[in-house]
Amino acid sequence: MTEALLEQVINGLMMGSIYVLVALGLVLIYGVMHVVNFAHGVLFTLGGYLGHFFFSQCWDNYWVATLLSMLSVGLVGYALERGVFRPLSGNLRNQVIASLGLILAFENAVIALWGPNALQWKVASTEQLVSLGELRFSVHHLGIIALTMAMITALGLFLKHTRFGTAIRATSQNQEAALVVGIPVQRVQWSTFALGSALAALGGCLVGPLFLVFPQMGDVPLVKGLAGILLGGMGSVPGAVVGGLILGVTESVSTLFLPTDYRDSIAFMVMVGILLFRPQGLWGQRVRGEE
Amino acid sequence: MWRSRMPWLALLLVMLALAGAPWWAAQQPFVLHMLVTACVLVVPAVGLNLMLGHGGLVSLGHMGFAGIGAYVAAVLMVDARWAFGPAVCAAMLAAGVAGGLISLLCFRFRGHFFMIVTLAFGLMLHAVMNNWDAVTRGAAGFAGIPRPTPVRWGDAVWSFGPLPHFYALALAMAVIAFVVQYLVVNSNFGRSLAAIRQDERLARSRGVDTLLYKTTVFAIGTALAGMGGVLQVSFLRVAAPASFTMLESINMVLIVIIGGAGSLAGPALGALLYVALPELLRLSNEWRLVIFGVMLVLITLFAPKGLAGLCARAWLRVWPPQRDAPASAKP
Repeated sequence: MTEALLEQVINGLMMGSIYVLVALGLVLIYGVMHVVNFAHGVLFTLGGYLGHFFFSQCWDNYWVATLLSMLSVGLVGYALERGVFRPLSGNLRNQVIASLGLILAFENAVIALWGPNALQWKVASTEQLVSLGELRFSVHHLGIIALTMAMITALGLFLKHTRFGTAIRATSQNQEAALVVGIPVQRVQWSTFALGSALAALGGCLVGPLFLVFPQMGDVPLVKGLAGILLGGMGSVPGAVVGGLILGVTESVSTLFLPTDYRDSIAFMVMVGILLFRPQGLWGQRVRGEE
Repeated sequence: MWRSRMPWLALLLVMLALAGAPWWAAQQPFVLHMLVTACVLVVPAVGLNLMLGHGGLVSLGHMGFAGIGAYVAAVLMVDARWAFGPAVCAAMLAAGVAGGLISLLCFRFRGHFFMIVTLAFGLMLHAVMNNWDAVTRGAAGFAGIPRPTPVRWGDAVWSFGPLPHFYALALAMAVIAFVVQYLVVNSNFGRSLAAIRQDERLARSRGVDTLLYKTTVFAIGTALAGMGGVLQVSFLRVAAPASFTMLESINMVLIVIIGGAGSLAGPALGALLYVALPELLRLSNEWRLVIFGVMLVLITLFAPKGLAGLCARAWLRVWPPQRDAPASAKP
């Protein structure tokens, strides 16, 4: 029993790490632009496909392919911010609707370009096993957890100790005041959008070799990422990390007691249950007049 | 003089054309098939238009409620052998009550939070349809749903098997949905709803019970979604969880927005375009949705009132309001 539990906790941390990567992008973008990008899931998918494309067509190196994919999706994010989300700023409903349009456009463009079938992405690290006691995990599993933790730490240090990170935090706190003290708010916004998109692409490249690359691969991480940021408190970076990990571990451990078919619903029930008693999320603060 | 009656005249002509479709399209069953598909989409779209366009509530789980209606009717008609009419009423009641109760939870959240929670409920409803094998038959779908039983009137028998006959039923249900929409929008309830959409706090301070009104419109909208779900499964004769996914809910939002949220005719324009455009463009399904997605983005950027708004603007361009009209001549 304890071994099964440990196994599910490690699996949960792995999936939770993926959710955290998505949630971090969402929360950073929400912070500086006050928009929830529902198209974040298709950027995840696009990242997975581009990583697979670079890996199979250009360089036979997983890390180079991942980096190239992150760069290209970052550029896509930049284009989306300039072309779609900035012109719609201030109109919450239209921003959301435009991002729904982007979901359709991207997801079906991926199907039209690469076909509806799942692609295999063979990477050596998914074959090598590490044993922890009697349990065995692939290097890739543990690598995802380690890499995400490293990314979180790096991001935390970047936000806390660099000039640009401080500018991002200032813009999240109060956009007008940031403008008054001379922070280039527009530059902060597009670069944050690009950074968030690149994090989503990283998530896509990390799970691609484990669970195949397919057109709907971003749907579940998107909704889990959204649930994660709601749970952690909208706009809170540590909240997004904790929220994503809680969701990942809860749904993994729940499979020990309940049918796996309901795994996704359990995460949402946990989310709705917690939010009913704490609508501002675990870390969030209630701001008067905040939508 | 006849200017003010033009919309009604146009409506009459459109209704005549639609009602006459079995005759003018007798040689092309394909056209009729498309029109039935459009009716199936229009019924839940009208429900969503009431919530989104008139009440300002963006629900991203709308097709989940259509699924409740569809499965309730399927179970009643197949397992309990109910007739079509009572099954539709029960399905609408179930979807509406579920919608009202779930919306009470969702209204604890605002703005983005509200949309995300509706999305989560849509996904949970889909998970239940997909996995509760004993009742919904699971992912394989619930097959063998009967068409409505033939109506007998004296010696005449009207069965719903042939496409033109089913089309009459679908059109009638679409008309009912539009009548409901018209009645709701032109009532005191509808005007209070518009006030809530424009400024909820102001509406509340003027004595509007906003929570009650929002819950009511959510229940009406989801009941219409349930009606659309029943229409869909009795047309396809199978209820499949794949018809009630997140993507289908997003398509529904797209139909309403492209048609023109908050306009009475918007859902019809959106659904017709959604069904007809790929045929006009002769494209594969994927590229159709790519084009629709891009159109949605362009519409939010450049024409926030959708096709209905564009039509209204074109109409004003062709027939500009006359300066010496009697209305403006009055002191």
